Amino acid sequence: MTTRRFALLLALVLAVDGTAAAQEAFPTRPINMVAPFPPGGVADLMARPVSAAMEKVLKSPVVVVNKVGAAGAVGMSFVANSRPDGYTLLMALSSISIIPEADKLFDRKPAYTMDQFAPIALISADPTVLVVRAEKPWKNVKEFVEDAKKRPEEISYSSSGVYGTLHMAMEMLTHAAGIRLKHVPYNGAGPALTAILGGHVDALASGPAVVLPHIKAGKLRPLAGWGANRIAALPDLTTFKELGYDIEFYIWAGVFAPKDTPEPILRKLRDTVRQAVQDADFKAAMAKMETPVAYMDAPELQKFWDKDAKMLAEAIKRVGKIEEKK
Amino acid sequence: MLETLQSLSHGFALALSPGVMVYAFAGCVIGTLVGMLPGVGPLAGISLLLPASFGLDATTAIVLLAGIYYGAMYGGSTTSILMRIPGEAASVMTCIDGYAMTRKGRAGPALAIAAIGSYIAGTASVVGLMLLAPPLAGFALRFGPPEFLALLLLGLLTLAYMSGGSLPKSLAMAALGLLLGMIGIDHMTGYFRFHYGVVELGDGIGIVPVAVGLFGLSEILLTAGQAEPPAVMRPRIRDLAPSREEWRDSAGPVARGTVLGFLIGILPGSAHIIASFVSYAVERRLSRHPERFGQGAVEGVAGPESANNSATSGALVPMLALGVPSGPIPAVMMAAMMVHGVSPGPLLIQQQPELFWGVIASMYVGNLVLLILNLPLVGLFVNLLRIPYPFLYPAILVFSVVGVYAVNGSVVDVWIMVATGLLGYLLRKFDFETAPIVLGVVLAPMLEMSLRQSLAMSSGSYWIFLQRPIAATMLFLGLGLLLLSVRPVFGKGKDWRRRLGLTGKVSSREEGTS
Amino acid sequence: MFSRDRVAGLALFLFALVVLWENRVLPLGTVYRPGPGFMPMVLALALAGLALAVMAGSRGSPPLASLDWTEKRHAAAILAGSTFAALALERLGYRLTTLVLVGFLLWAIEGKRSAVALLMAIGLSLGTWYVFAGLLKVPLPLGPRGF
Repeated sequence: MTTRRFALLLALVLAVDGTAAAQEAFPTRPINMVAPFPPGGVADLMARPVSAAMEKVLKSPVVVVNKVGAAGAVGMSFVANSRPDGYTLLMALSSISIIPEADKLFDRKPAYTMDQFAPIALISADPTVLVVRAEKPWKNVKEFVEDAKKRPEEISYSSSGVYGTLHMAMEMLTHAAGIRLKHVPYNGAGPALTAILGGHVDALASGPAVVLPHIKAGKLRPLAGWGANRIAALPDLTTFKELGYDIEFYIWAGVFAPKDTPEPILRKLRDTVRQAVQDADFKAAMAKMETPVAYMDAPELQKFWDKDAKMLAEAIKRVGKIEEKK
Repeated sequence: MLETLQSLSHGFALALSPGVMVYAFAGCVIGTLVGMLPGVGPLAGISLLLPASFGLDATTAIVLLAGIYYGAMYGGSTTSILMRIPGEAASVMTCIDGYAMTRKGRAGPALAIAAIGSYIAGTASVVGLMLLAPPLAGFALRFGPPEFLALLLLGLLTLAYMSGGSLPKSLAMAALGLLLGMIGIDHMTGYFRFHYGVVELGDGIGIVPVAVGLFGLSEILLTAGQAEPPAVMRPRIRDLAPSREEWRDSAGPVARGTVLGFLIGILPGSAHIIASFVSYAVERRLSRHPERFGQGAVEGVAGPESANNSATSGALVPMLALGVPSGPIPAVMMAAMMVHGVSPGPLLIQQQPELFWGVIASMYVGNLVLLILNLPLVGLFVNLLRIPYPFLYPAILVFSVVGVYAVNGSVVDVWIMVATGLLGYLLRKFDFETAPIVLGVVLAPMLEMSLRQSLAMSSGSYWIFLQRPIAATMLFLGLGLLLLSVRPVFGKGKDWRRRLGLTGKVSSREEGTS
Repeated sequence: MFSRDRVAGLALFLFALVVLWENRVLPLGTVYRPGPGFMPMVLALALAGLALAVMAGSRGSPPLASLDWTEKRHAAAILAGSTFAALALERLGYRLTTLVLVGFLLWAIEGKRSAVALLMAIGLSLGTWYVFAGLLKVPLPLGPRGF
């Protein structure tokens, strides 16, 4: 056979052999799991038990790397643009769906787009909870909504920032209930919580874990949850769905990889995470943080994510640019 | 009272147990090392070592992190005094008089007073934390956006006292700093401002690169090429201890700084950075020799350093007493607690007494450890000054790059440092003070956010500032102070600023009127 | 005519104008509901006003030509080195970048003997790497081939 054909065949053989080798050997280096939020934040706290458990399964290091900035955009765009070889993963929160939509709203070049990611697995999905200050008179959602209808734009709520998850959750409620509330944005979930505890706003949509101690201490009263089911730690708390409002909102965390990661590697990562969430240490760590594990494999996550993203996109469009209202 | 003492003694028993002591010590040492790194302050230090704390039990983890927090505040003053590079943003004011003291050969006393003032402030504020935590925390929570705005406006007033030279120049620098602080995402509407496509600028340009660039890099740029390199210091042993006069002059500033820092520290938000700025301004205003400020006045070191350290304890008050994440550092410590299954909340003190008292006790211990650690090191550090400058400044540059990069792992921060270094170099050439810029960058986002949040809360009405008692009180106070200080202009004519020692380098014009 | 303060004031004034121009895309809102462009506009106007005040008060300021620039070549070199560091940090990795930077500063700028410069450069580069990346686990960038 001619030299050229031989070279081609050789190249082909080597390429196939190479990928085969890569398949067997993955991972040969430490894997970086990027947490796009500062240490101590939700993404970070999720990423650590997950990476520790994955390490045990893979018998190879999985390192959490914090890439902070712009409400997560820095870390997310970093992973979106990184090499799809399976060594860079993302621990993303639900804000992954928000940032590109917000960029679109402002005619900005998007930091990344959602189709630059391939989902691997969902780790947790906490429904948000509506809490109000304990000394306020509303004992349940009905009273709250009635009062809001009587005094539009007087009842105030805080949030972690415009177009943030806590803002969007509230938005869905106000749209479904036909009420108008006063929104006071803060920069971060921590300050938003501080604001309601200090009495500067009346209500807050929050992840359950951080408000539980205050509910137990009697400072905050939960009115309802945004989940399809009731929250394990608050079994007496009704959900909006039960009350007839068709809204669902979760603050979820999931593992993603860049889109073009080879299929075999994706499969291996999915298997790894599936085993990781069964690990006893992992379960114990999550239980300590009072965060229930809500594992979903990639196909289900993709469906979940699409639905969630669509809902958020609608809400964002509805909110529009704040400056253009009124 | 008896119960408190009993709980405290339990706490001490826990804190002094070998297992915990080791970690407290380790935390202090690591914190000091990290704090000495330019720009890397307590937040970066704690964040870096948070993962390492996951393997420990709750109390030990918090003790470790608290040690790092403290140690970083102590360590930050070392580079500020010796090399005019802020160890963290809060040490910017220490750079000014601390470095001037070093130039006069008083580096040892400066370091010693900083360490001792920090110790006194730290210990006193832990006492405050211990005894007053719940009521103070409740008061602090009542600080909402309108109160914050009033406080920050008061903070802006301190600008007039911060630097020598002409008033329009200082104010112009403040305006410049405030403008630089406008870069980033507007949290009220989601607009990106002035970011020109660089995603990393979304959170603003960052205090750390600005402080390190404006102070550290500009200093290197100005000094390295001088025909006469800075004289190599040859400190003698007896020069290491502060003189009796310096002790006496520091007593008041330390006391005032402690109280001031603690009160500012308990307020939610990142306002505790301004504690050192406010302390500097207060000391300058109260001093009998205000013209010494900027030339190496020990009050300019004692006050800000004490304020810094007591602000750190103050910042922990709302967190420990009420479970409120009152700032980025308490938030990280709360996360550390949550990881260990301890939910910080209003019932923390009752439900987890060992944690609370163990942390309190370890803070006492930690402060003492840091003092014992740092005082002998004063001699060591001062000897660093013997290194000839041509060898010293590349090392400083390397440390600055590491420090600035380490905060966010972003090379954009290094670029900002380079750019502000050039800016600082040019500004100082033209006789402008750079400290107001740092204050402006710190204050701008908080100032604007508080204003717009207050207006959102009141649906657009400016009356909210008068309707809320705390805010109204502070605003009237500020107005009063402003009028008081401006009165001599009308009364005594042109020499009020000279009386306050505010005509500094640009002295070729008459009487300081601008 | 060209006193220092006058030139500086002018530069600040022009900067304020640039900011005002760049700010035009942001909605101003009203005084009761300030938009994202409101504060920057107020501050830029304040800066412009103060810059004019600086220029007006520049009578006593020494002339521009009297500025002492003796260190400018040194400063330019250090600035160039720092710029190189920013550019190279994530491409060449921390250790190589600091090696080149310190070596350049000590050998080319300060004129130390090449052996001394090299030694210091290696010492600083690897030493700081060990302390910060090794002991303190600060994530410092790696260069090509993981160095």
